[in-house]
Amino acid sequence: MSLDLRGAVVRRGAFRLSAELSIPSDGITVVFGPSGAGKSMLLSAIAGLHRLAAGNLTFDGRVLENVDARVRVPAHERAIGLVFQDARLFPHLSVRGNLHYAESRRPAARNAPITVEISRLLEFEDLLDRPVKNLSGGERSRVALARAIVSAPEMLLLDEPFAALDGRRRRDFARFLKEYGRDQGVPIVVVTHLIDEAAELANHIVAMRAGRVVCSGQPAEIMTRPEFAALLDPRDRGAWVQGASGHAPGDGVWVRADSVLLASAEPRGISARNIWPGRVAGIMREPDGAILISLDTAKGYILSRITPEALADLKLEEGGEAWAIVKAHAL
Amino acid sequence: MVRAMLTAEELQILSTSLGVAGRAVVFSLPVAILFAWALSRPRFPGQGVLNTIAHLPLVLPPVLVGYMLLLAFGVNGPLGGWLKATFGIQLALTAGGAALATAVMAFPLMVRAIRLSFEATDGGLFEAAAVLRASPWDRFWSLALPLAWPGVLAGAVVAFAAGLGEFGAVITFASNIEGETQTLPLAINAALNTPGRDEVAFRLAVISLIAAVVGLLAAEGLQRWARRRLEG
Repeated sequence: MSLDLRGAVVRRGAFRLSAELSIPSDGITVVFGPSGAGKSMLLSAIAGLHRLAAGNLTFDGRVLENVDARVRVPAHERAIGLVFQDARLFPHLSVRGNLHYAESRRPAARNAPITVEISRLLEFEDLLDRPVKNLSGGERSRVALARAIVSAPEMLLLDEPFAALDGRRRRDFARFLKEYGRDQGVPIVVVTHLIDEAAELANHIVAMRAGRVVCSGQPAEIMTRPEFAALLDPRDRGAWVQGASGHAPGDGVWVRADSVLLASAEPRGISARNIWPGRVAGIMREPDGAILISLDTAKGYILSRITPEALADLKLEEGGEAWAIVKAHAL
Repeated sequence: MVRAMLTAEELQILSTSLGVAGRAVVFSLPVAILFAWALSRPRFPGQGVLNTIAHLPLVLPPVLVGYMLLLAFGVNGPLGGWLKATFGIQLALTAGGAALATAVMAFPLMVRAIRLSFEATDGGLFEAAAVLRASPWDRFWSLALPLAWPGVLAGAVVAFAAGLGEFGAVITFASNIEGETQTLPLAINAALNTPGRDEVAFRLAVISLIAAVVGLLAAEGLQRWARRRLEG
């Protein structure tokens, strides 16, 4: 049970996306990569808005597209919802009208939240009768998500869904997505170029660059790979950690090398909530002179960026003991 | 007020004109919408032919359009004969025929205005509707048409205003029959050709001018109003 792209090629102008991948039919799959990687195009192809130039696409065993066999299920028959980055609300309808548009077109048998429920869950009941032109960016994002959910999709794709949201809304939105996917049994695919979002949401991750899938799999495995690190801005280098203080045990979080303190002795009387003992697995000198220390801990490999002076003071050596320290609020 | 200012003859002519132009718009609007929609789509085979057909009346001499209508819809023409035999409808030399000739002449104007409106609609909205399970036909009714309706309205009003002034095609196909097919321009022409009716011609010309200006202003106003409603 999954969505599979085999030998799939999508073209737009000179850009060519080639994808060979499986998206599991439960949990949240994050498609991560720098801009221009072809992430949005991948979503469009899955939703049926972009034609495959080669290969095939199947969803839970059902062929959605097979170029050789000349099979192509049109977008409106795929039951795959897509939330666009720019919301794309219908300007001639109110918020309620936009949601009803989706609700009135879904198959009667599908069990999913209806307009009133979803507007309560996403806290925009008071906006229902407003024209969409009067909504803020964040409100538009929530209405667009609600509209997609009300259409009762069998898979939900979201393109940079958090772009217009502020901190608190972003966290609520993320929690809502996880619960929705789990409770409704709807697999979710989220496109993002932000590592924090990727680490927080992913049960599964697909890393892309320049129209290709670099690697895909479990975050714990994929996010420690050198080819994944190569996709990141140097300032974003770090490690994926599960169950950090202030987060639910199963939730992932991205711990940036820049936010990790190192101690050569067990720290006491300190406010930081995340203190992880480990052994120094590697000491790397970066081009700008900073030192990147890799620490093997019970949480996995943690990276810390320190100055050459700090390295000298702490007298850290490969194989030696050290403690990684991270403030709960820094995550 | 209008009644007090116009003579019975002028009222008759104005009402014939309004009836002819009104019917021309009502009957050709659905066809114009379909043509405009098809022409606003990404390229498909036959689109060029469709485009040529839609714009032909713009470049053909109106007399020729009237003559072609006469050949096709005249009592002895293939379509005219069939209409007469099947429904008992005769178009040549009737107000219905005047409306048909006017409709054909105003068709390109309508198609252009509506097509621009379709083309101005954000294509991304149709993608959004598609992933909400709306079929192409559904998207046309639920999105394309409601979003383009300021253009549809403007196209209809401009075609109506232009229709009030259609001459060559109407006189060739429907002739100049007082009270039946004699619209404003036909009446002006008749008055000019009759000695001592200069004043009648002048008054009719002023009425024609006022109707045209009101039509254009109405098209502009309606379009602005509708755009405001859609975009805020």
